[in-house]
Amino acid sequence: MFSLKMDLCHLVRLTIAYNANITMRRNLSSVVLANSLAEVKHDQNNTVLESVSEDLSEVTPYFPESFNIAAYVNKSETLQNLVKLNVNLSKIEKKPHIVNKLLKMDFEKDMKENIFFIKDFVDSENIGNYITKNPLILCESIENFQVRINYLQSKSFSNLQIHNIIARNPFWLMFSTERIDKRLGYFQNKFSLNGNEVRLLATKQPKIITYSIHHINTNSFVVKEEMGFNDEEVKTLLLNKPKIWMTSKPYQKSLLERFNYLHNVIKIPHSSILHYPNVLLCRNFKVKQRHMFLETLGRAQYDANKENYIPLKALIENTDSEFCKNYAKCNVDDFNLFLKTL
Amino acid sequence: MVKIKDAALAYKILNGLICVYKPACVSVRQVQHKILTNLCRDLNNLPDRPQEKRVEIVGATNAPMKVKLLPNFADDPLVCGPRYIQKDFRCSWATHLGLFSSGILLLGINDGTKLTYLLNTARLTRAFKVHGQLGKATDTYFWNGRTMERSTYGHVSREKIDRIVANMQAAHQKTMYELSGLHIDSQTTYEMASQGLIRPANSKLPVVYGIKCIHFAPPNFTLEVQSVNEYDKYLWTLIHDLGVQLKSTAHCTGVQCIRHGKFDIPLALLRKHWTLDHILNNMDECRQLLEDNENLLKPKSAALSV
Repeated sequence: MFSLKMDLCHLVRLTIAYNANITMRRNLSSVVLANSLAEVKHDQNNTVLESVSEDLSEVTPYFPESFNIAAYVNKSETLQNLVKLNVNLSKIEKKPHIVNKLLKMDFEKDMKENIFFIKDFVDSENIGNYITKNPLILCESIENFQVRINYLQSKSFSNLQIHNIIARNPFWLMFSTERIDKRLGYFQNKFSLNGNEVRLLATKQPKIITYSIHHINTNSFVVKEEMGFNDEEVKTLLLNKPKIWMTSKPYQKSLLERFNYLHNVIKIPHSSILHYPNVLLCRNFKVKQRHMFLETLGRAQYDANKENYIPLKALIENTDSEFCKNYAKCNVDDFNLFLKTL
Repeated sequence: MVKIKDAALAYKILNGLICVYKPACVSVRQVQHKILTNLCRDLNNLPDRPQEKRVEIVGATNAPMKVKLLPNFADDPLVCGPRYIQKDFRCSWATHLGLFSSGILLLGINDGTKLTYLLNTARLTRAFKVHGQLGKATDTYFWNGRTMERSTYGHVSREKIDRIVANMQAAHQKTMYELSGLHIDSQTTYEMASQGLIRPANSKLPVVYGIKCIHFAPPNFTLEVQSVNEYDKYLWTLIHDLGVQLKSTAHCTGVQCIRHGKFDIPLALLRKHWTLDHILNNMDECRQLLEDNENLLKPKSAALSV
């Protein structure tokens, strides 16, 4: 059930020189190379086929090439320690350049201090997940981390905020101070936020600061020009639900499609969407199904001023049975039957 | 519904046919992928076999050595990956359903792939609900195409549609005899025809056995079509032709497969039910249905019995 990954099998190769952590001892050839070649031919007493009375437990063969880490994990203390910390090695081994770096490092010398440093910010159950998402954090130096945290403190981030940011974004500490400064400045200028709002944004969704600027630009264009929100509304939307800006390329179309359905087909005004931005993050088919069902029942009324008002969040939250009981006032089976006619 | 407690047992009994309700605008491949992803996720969440142990013989080689039984780190799911991955499953469909069509889709999982092959060759009839709209004709005959023509439809009445639809049905049934591959004036053809409707000669010829208008609220209308070997474009063309014959224009707004042989809508699984226990239940029901009707898989003659 293993698939042979061609890019890995020639890359994950342990050479003798980097065996510091794996308890790899003298290899077999050193025993033979003790004598010169000519002597070996004549010296019948020193062939490897003869039984030897000295202790040979120090001698092991070379490690063969392997396409996954599982081949080395039983012999390497470093890898075993990582597994004990709940780090998911099978996800890390999909990136060969990271694996190369990790295998050359020793747990005691390199990784331990970094792990203790991170433990201040991330609690022990999440640390495995943290390292799985960003294994290179074990290769950075601690002075760099300290400089970056000092930068955040100088920008009046409270300690609690700094803890939150680092715990929720495993990549934050990899960015140099200049880069983070540039990013925060970019957000401040683009959306005209003041200092407090930048801090709020960074704490609420730290991943957006390290997200690709190109995608954020495209998403801003989608929200502002294509959806037709003005600047004030864009700012409210950003501070309320920054996740909308974090849609990547293949899903930007679906973001627009969702908005299109809500605004043009169900005729929900901008203000209601601003009031409850979660609707833009829910998949379109759910909204469509529930709305069409309410329409056939004649209960599709989303205006808060009139009677029989259905709040927007009813279209998204909870399971179908609760939706049916609370808002559609019918049995879930009827809803299922309706779904089978769509 | 049986509650499965063991992933290995669940994997062993996951062999057979399931009947799902494919949503519109989702390709069959996506449906397949989603179902396999859900199955892998559910199987990986169930408890599985205990982790293997390793035998290590340690100590100096010139003294008595110790034999130790240590846990095998290489068997840990954190190191070797999840226990069930998509590659462990084979999944194939019985007959294709177009991208924009919704409705019954039969999928075979692992050993069920043999059944889907048999179902495919058995050429079962399918019943479709084809929704159309009068007044506009598009270049692809479907709602997503460019509008080519617009026309009025005030003159179209229920009787006109029924008359034209009955005409179409008769014409199709006449061509059915020609498509059966037999000579029209022979005794065999007469014997076949006296038994009822017959299947076409090969799998590329669409044959329509029945068309009926079941809903008419201008401009929208719905036809029920019973046919074999059809594809979605053929059904869209039917609607377009209907519009032409009504001296108006029409295009298709939706296609829904409501029956596939004896597999019906109440049997089909909705998208929110594509999980392990629902799928196992459905597999059981489909197996029951196949056992009750032998001729679904192995048709005895070209005459249509189902």
